[in-house]
Amino acid sequence: MVVLSAICAALYAAVLVPFKVVPLIPGVTEMRPANAIPVVCSFMFGPAAAWGAGIGNMIGDFFGGVGPADIFGFFANVVYGYVPYKVWQVMAPGEPPIIRSPLTAAKFVIACLLASTFCADIVGWGENLLALRPFLMLGNAIVFNNMLAAILLGPFLLAAIYPRVKAGHLLYEDLMPEHQVLPSKTAWLGMLLLTAGVLGAWLTGNLISTGYWRPHTLPASMTQPPYDRAIAIVVTPLVGLATLGLALM
Amino acid sequence: MPIYLYLDRRTFIHRLHPTVKILAVVAIFWSVYWVDNPLWLLPLGVLLMAGAQLTRAWPNFYSLRWLFVLLVFATTLTWTIFYRQGKPLLHLGPLFVSRASLEYGLGRGIKLAELLATSVLFLSTTKVEEFAFGLGELGVPYRVGFAITLAFRLVPLFIDSALTVVQAQSLRGYDFDSGSLITRVRRYVPVTVPVFMGALRKANNMAMALEARGFGYGTRPTSHVHYEIRPLDILTLIGVILLGAAYFLIYYTGHGAIAPG
Repeated sequence: MVVLSAICAALYAAVLVPFKVVPLIPGVTEMRPANAIPVVCSFMFGPAAAWGAGIGNMIGDFFGGVGPADIFGFFANVVYGYVPYKVWQVMAPGEPPIIRSPLTAAKFVIACLLASTFCADIVGWGENLLALRPFLMLGNAIVFNNMLAAILLGPFLLAAIYPRVKAGHLLYEDLMPEHQVLPSKTAWLGMLLLTAGVLGAWLTGNLISTGYWRPHTLPASMTQPPYDRAIAIVVTPLVGLATLGLALM
Repeated sequence: MPIYLYLDRRTFIHRLHPTVKILAVVAIFWSVYWVDNPLWLLPLGVLLMAGAQLTRAWPNFYSLRWLFVLLVFATTLTWTIFYRQGKPLLHLGPLFVSRASLEYGLGRGIKLAELLATSVLFLSTTKVEEFAFGLGELGVPYRVGFAITLAFRLVPLFIDSALTVVQAQSLRGYDFDSGSLITRVRRYVPVTVPVFMGALRKANNMAMALEARGFGYGTRPTSHVHYEIRPLDILTLIGVILLGAAYFLIYYTGHGAIAPG
């Protein structure tokens, strides 16, 4: 598992680093076709891919400099590499993640969307909490960037690699058969909480950071720019709800 | 393109204990966090520049110069627009610019540039193994440190392997350069198959080699690398703690804030 994590991390960083020079929003984020790698690895290697995504992102950050917000980046990428695996286990147990029908495509998009948005929530929430950048900026740029890579490249990469990895008995279920779990009612409840938390955090984060929604229950001093306190009070429980959901899955 | 920023020099910062270096980075991050006023951030900027001069790390700063410029510019612009406080100098629809928002935006820009400069300085003076060792000393599990070090080592290998496949395919007439951006990116998908499969083969062999060497058997693995805490490490640690305390004091006395005038 340690070696597999390191391999996933290195693959992710190997694609991430050359594209560091192509900014999407200057000084904020760059073109990240590498973001397809954690999703692809997640479907095949599960938790190993999740740790790999976190470490790979950290290596990428090392190239362009690290900051306190990179701690959130680490965990956001761990989640980005873990959610597709868990969501697929619940929605399509035993099915290969290769798109052959509209239903599989829909499941794939749901898995990628939840992973991308949760990742964006954590980074946007963390950076706004430290008052470094507004939620609106990162919360949306990351969803766009992650989804673009996952949807445009993910299915092709999976179609090319998954059958070979399966034939080589190198899938997570093959390497760690004792960790295989079947979806239960608790897992579905977890998925429900994850969806509510992820989408709720994204929506409230956007509304608060733009100043369109000022929660009246909060003191006026908390609803002033940079909205770090309002984000801390409103978005934090929703991020927690999503994390609880993921833990239940 | 360099993967590592480490510069092999013989300066006292290079020789500091890895854990002290990590704690120094944390202390600088802490100091930067408390202050919004650009004027109070300047002394820290001077300190970082002195660090760059002392460690002769300017080549790394030079190679990242555009990143610094973009970071300061984009952050200043963003917060100037989002920080809707103070008497407006310009108010056109959603666009709101005031003296306070300009000061706040500039402060954020300098803040992020200083965070970046701190990390560049750290990476210019710290090897990956030292970083992993420092993390281990701070209680991070050995396996995590090992995975980080291994991943760092593998990145250049995978980039080389991908370039070899691209060159081999180009020699066979495969066109990587025509078509739209998305078409070109998709053409690289077949390249990933041999790189991926090669990586997995490597993972399999490496896992066997590690198991044969008893990896993960003991709870406290031994290491052939040792770093001793010297008086200079203690002095540096005291220095950065004082720096962190001073910046907290600036915040506490209200000097680091921006007046919403």
